[in-house]
Amino acid sequence: MRTKRAVVFAGVGFLLAAVPLVAHHAFSAEFDIAKPLTLQGTLTKWEMINPHSWFHIEVKDPAGKVVPWMIEGGSPNQLIRLGVTKNTLAVGTAILIEGYQAKDGTNKAVGRNFTLPDGTRLFLGGSAPGALGPGSEKK
Amino acid sequence: MSHRYFASVSVLAVLIAVVLFALVLAQAPSGDAKADAPAKTWNMPRTPDGQPDLQGFWTNATYTPLERPKDVTKEFYTKEEAAEIEKRGAERESAQTVPGTIPDVHYDFTQFGLDRHQGTYASNLRTSLIVDPPDGKIPPMTVEGQTRVAERAEARKRRGGPNDAVQNMPLGARCLIMEGPGPPMLAPAYNSNYQIVQAPGYVMILVEMIHDVRMIPLDGSPHLPPHIRQWMGSSRGRWEGETLVVETTNFTDKNPFRGSSETMRVIERFTRVDEDTIVYKFTIEDPSTWTRPWSAEVPMKQTVGPLFEHACHEGNYGLANTLAGARAEEKRAAEETAKKESR
Repeated sequence: MRTKRAVVFAGVGFLLAAVPLVAHHAFSAEFDIAKPLTLQGTLTKWEMINPHSWFHIEVKDPAGKVVPWMIEGGSPNQLIRLGVTKNTLAVGTAILIEGYQAKDGTNKAVGRNFTLPDGTRLFLGGSAPGALGPGSEKK
Repeated sequence: MSHRYFASVSVLAVLIAVVLFALVLAQAPSGDAKADAPAKTWNMPRTPDGQPDLQGFWTNATYTPLERPKDVTKEFYTKEEAAEIEKRGAERESAQTVPGTIPDVHYDFTQFGLDRHQGTYASNLRTSLIVDPPDGKIPPMTVEGQTRVAERAEARKRRGGPNDAVQNMPLGARCLIMEGPGPPMLAPAYNSNYQIVQAPGYVMILVEMIHDVRMIPLDGSPHLPPHIRQWMGSSRGRWEGETLVVETTNFTDKNPFRGSSETMRVIERFTRVDEDTIVYKFTIEDPSTWTRPWSAEVPMKQTVGPLFEHACHEGNYGLANTLAGARAEEKRAAEETAKKESR
């Protein structure tokens, strides 16, 4: 699923010209770089809230016991602008999450990748980048 | 009227139109990517009381950095170079990060539509948003400014590590104010959206991030008294021809802009240049921080509304998680130390 991409730019100027995106807080202070994980679960609730949305899922542990997890994602505002609603993602949807567990050791994680059973990445239909189209926000 | 006469008049009209069109193109400003677009007749829309109408939804999302990149000496890129920069910027935004690295401990901007390429942004031929000084860089800091920055860092250190005191956590992480709501208004990482509403005697600017609002009186009233300091200062506006000029003072020490003092003065100029674009210019005057004033020019592009709620405090689980994580790490470290000592 994960592709390591080393992008080499011919011109240093071009590289510096690309403004890096920064989060509003340091995710590496909330989640543990040393605890990468992959979770296969079903959605019980999606909180479309700010500053970051949260996906509640249930995951079966190796003993077959159902364990709840909370997964942090991005601000939902742009998704709403692009036509995503609370009904876009139904409760019960199976979802595969690759991410990193919370530093306090509880069942929380940041979702680096959200993938649906058919292999498409959530909200993208499997054709990133620009699956929603450049400038699609503008009518 | 004969057909021949009609035909010659038509040919003449077409010729005049072509010459006029060429003249318009030749005079078009070179800094705007729209310069190459055919000039259309456009009249400034006006509010019922006759002000230029700036109302609507705007974004200042951009691939242009505030300061000119180190290896770039020119003021403008060619159209091709600018397009290449946008393309590479978009590729970089959607590229997967390397597992096990700090940038990878994050959700994917692309999955949430938050990369600039998926929203509205203004193309720009400028190599930096800063237009003055001419080198496109923030001027050097004064000794007083450097001392103040060092003192603020010292005060933070006295309070402990980044997650030891709430005052040490970034204002954005605490949902108090995000970067860039202004003044000066500069695009945050995402949700770089603004709504402008005009009423007789007032202009209101609503910022999507944490729904910060600036109510700007246009009635010539004085700024707030000096002892009242505000997170976004005290703004007063006036019209200079077709341009809205907003002056802001009364900033607070709690929310410095790139090391500024609370005596910073910001002058903003909003000029609607076509249906889809406001040219937003700002000048920073803070002689106790920078050796000279500096100015930037940012295109704001029309986008679709409404602005969506950003009730940051309500959903800020991240703050508690970060503090809990820091305490858990301290506990682990203390246990390690105890183990070593008992050996």
